[in-house]
Amino acid sequence: MANPTEEPGPELSPSTPRWVKVFGIIIVIGVLLFVGLLLFGGGHGPRRHTSYPATSARTIYL
Amino acid sequence: VTPGLRKFALTIHLTLSLGWIGAVVAYLVLGVSAVTGRDIATLRVAWRAMELIGWFAIVPLALASLLTGLIMALGTQWGLFRHYWVLFSLVLTVLANVVLLLHMPEVSRLAGLAQEADAVELAGLGGDLLHPGLGLVVLLVITVLNTYKPQGVTPYGWRKRQTERRMGRVLG
Repeated sequence: MANPTEEPGPELSPSTPRWVKVFGIIIVIGVLLFVGLLLFGGGHGPRRHTSYPATSARTIYL
Repeated sequence: VTPGLRKFALTIHLTLSLGWIGAVVAYLVLGVSAVTGRDIATLRVAWRAMELIGWFAIVPLALASLLTGLIMALGTQWGLFRHYWVLFSLVLTVLANVVLLLHMPEVSRLAGLAQEADAVELAGLGGDLLHPGLGLVVLLVITVLNTYKPQGVTPYGWRKRQTERRMGRVLG
């Protein structure tokens, strides 16, 4: 039986919340994608991410 | 840190962080006009304005937001590594700053190119939507984390809390 005058023992460390695990996985995947693009993407910049290809059919007027 | 000083620092931090979001929205609007614009003058002005907003609004606001965030975390009971929401905010803010600083020279290069490009080259130049788009999502996530402050103490924060409780019992 527990002695009520006894000092309480150390509390157990709380478990990691689920949102932390989900966020952690998303951030790690994002960083890996970013590093992968930098290393193996074969060039990087705004032009790669546009909806118009370099040979766009868009007509530009003077 | 006195409550008055903490409130003042929080006001500065919020202003800079929300200003960063606003500047990214303005950049996105210009990026869309660079993609959809149909005359040379509009495209050239859009690229030049994206470069100016990037270097003179987004970059200073991003760096200042990171700096004031560090000051807020270290100057309050939240700490920098005690709570997961603070830790994630720090990691995401640092990542956003790194990507921004790596990306801006390319924006300057394309803005310069746009000033001399002919109509065909300008049509192929497109805009810059992915970086600011993803950046905006990251900034909104940070804002949500900072507003809701979800539960979760890191192992370091938990050990600090235990130590402070023990100290409190000894002193009290």
